[in-house]
Amino acid sequence: MSVRSSTSGWAFAAFPLAVIVVFTALPTVAGVALSFFEWTGGNRPNFIGIENYRAAILHDPQLIHSLRNTLIFGVATVPITVILAFVLAVALKAEWFVGKTTVRTIIFLPFVISIVAIGFVWRWVLDPHSGLLNMGLESIAADRMFADWPVPWLGDSPWALGTMCFVHVWRNLGFCVVLYLAALSRVPRSLYDAAGVDGAGSWQATWRIAWPAVRPMTLFVVITSSIWSLQVFDLVWVMTGGAEQPWTDVLNTHLYREFAANRLGYAATIGVLVLIITAVITVAQLRWLRGSTEAAS
Amino acid sequence: MSAWSKPAWPIRAAVHAFVYILAATMLVPFAWMCSTSLKTDAEAIDVQQLALLPAGSVSDWKWGNYVEAWRLAELGDVYLNSLIVAVVVTVLSVLHNALAGFAFAKLRMTAKRSVFIAMLLTMMLPYQVYFLFAYILCGWLGYVDHLHALIVPFLASAFGIFYMRQSIITVSDGLLDAGRVDGLTNFELFWHVVLPSIKPAVGALAIFTFMASWNNFFWPLIVIDSQENFTLPLSVAALSSGLYVQSWPVQMAAATLITLPTIVVFIIFQRIFVQGLALTGMKG
Repeated sequence: MSVRSSTSGWAFAAFPLAVIVVFTALPTVAGVALSFFEWTGGNRPNFIGIENYRAAILHDPQLIHSLRNTLIFGVATVPITVILAFVLAVALKAEWFVGKTTVRTIIFLPFVISIVAIGFVWRWVLDPHSGLLNMGLESIAADRMFADWPVPWLGDSPWALGTMCFVHVWRNLGFCVVLYLAALSRVPRSLYDAAGVDGAGSWQATWRIAWPAVRPMTLFVVITSSIWSLQVFDLVWVMTGGAEQPWTDVLNTHLYREFAANRLGYAATIGVLVLIITAVITVAQLRWLRGSTEAAS
Repeated sequence: MSAWSKPAWPIRAAVHAFVYILAATMLVPFAWMCSTSLKTDAEAIDVQQLALLPAGSVSDWKWGNYVEAWRLAELGDVYLNSLIVAVVVTVLSVLHNALAGFAFAKLRMTAKRSVFIAMLLTMMLPYQVYFLFAYILCGWLGYVDHLHALIVPFLASAFGIFYMRQSIITVSDGLLDAGRVDGLTNFELFWHVVLPSIKPAVGALAIFTFMASWNNFFWPLIVIDSQENFTLPLSVAALSSGLYVQSWPVQMAAATLITLPTIVVFIIFQRIFVQGLALTGMKG
């Protein structure tokens, strides 16, 4: 409080904080409360205790599918994103790499384009009959490698989940590369020089020096991309046309459908489940990465 | 330097090949989008041959697809809606966040610490748990199916306030005290001393906010119903579900019209983009 002033900081902070209270904090409290009610938006909400949670766990197979798909999404995309982004950042940092800036620009490009547009364009590329991918595979006779041709890249099959994971990584990779580039440029030269005395090659310098040194950024990237995969909606909605399918539904598409069907209490319940999962995953990752940092040092 | 000693050439070649292939993967869908957008319907779905370029010379290409896409999806109105929302949200929320960040960083405030911590906690909340009542609230306020609903809830953000506070706290107190001696009010201090010294952070936050608003899909899908109030992502989703037209070339022409401006803007401002986002990650 170095600046002595007559006007309180509240004069500046009141309105912005009010926006957060009104549109985030209070709706969260009301949403958690609503998860214990049955409500279609019209009449008075009907208190039913934990009935929504029971229904979610016991009587909603589509919720279980979408939960499974969301978790697969996270487990598949987070490690791939982290490793690929780190490796790319190291390559783009190397003095001998040709075309750094151009490659960085290209790799970052998908991140600035709306996910909806990206899903749309990929849908065309992956179209089973006239899409670029299948036509390309046919032109090199690779279609014989697949039992069911044409492969329904976006139909209701595990393929579709894999395809969407791929596009998700494809879109977010550039952002993580840029984060790692920033982290790598803050690693002090002396660390490498010290290792250089021991004759470490660039492979060892990468994994023994750079990788541990950017651990705080790894923590950030892991948490951010985990949250992204829990929040995935746009991509799935556009790539599947919003179809309700066991292999393509994720928590948010299921939630949206319940909302659109005016089952508001049940939608709130799914929201609370997402909140719980987010909290558990974030805390677990913080603990795990902090713990392993201490063990390493 | 020896740590970064050049690996043998086969390794360097392999690394280059790997990275270039990845980079090509980033471009191919967009190239295919542009190529399709200039084909006839028959050409686009011709499974007999994979044509990378539309048939004929440049003047034979179906440029008319663009005219049709623009007209059918009413892209002029959609662009205007998106632009109004994103610009208003960016300008006002950056201003509000910076003001609140200034208060948290440098001003006297009752219960400052506990309010700040409470605010940080709201950052962890997923939108899935609060969008319901935010929607109901917008209904009470008469905002549903109106651009207001896309602006008012975004006039400030916990992340923005946190980010501004972290930047403003590095502004030297001596500078502020000097301003105070000159008789500047708190707002004048903010405007003439604080803002100019945190320009890069303001730029980063502005870009971040603009992108989030421009690309937001879930919330507009919830609160906007009529086509006249569509923003770009809603319009794209409607296109991709075949609402306006079934022709792939026309759809891809629309997709090109939608993505191209973003690509151009990004390439022009990419330094600020990349540095800004790197800065964001650093603080986070």
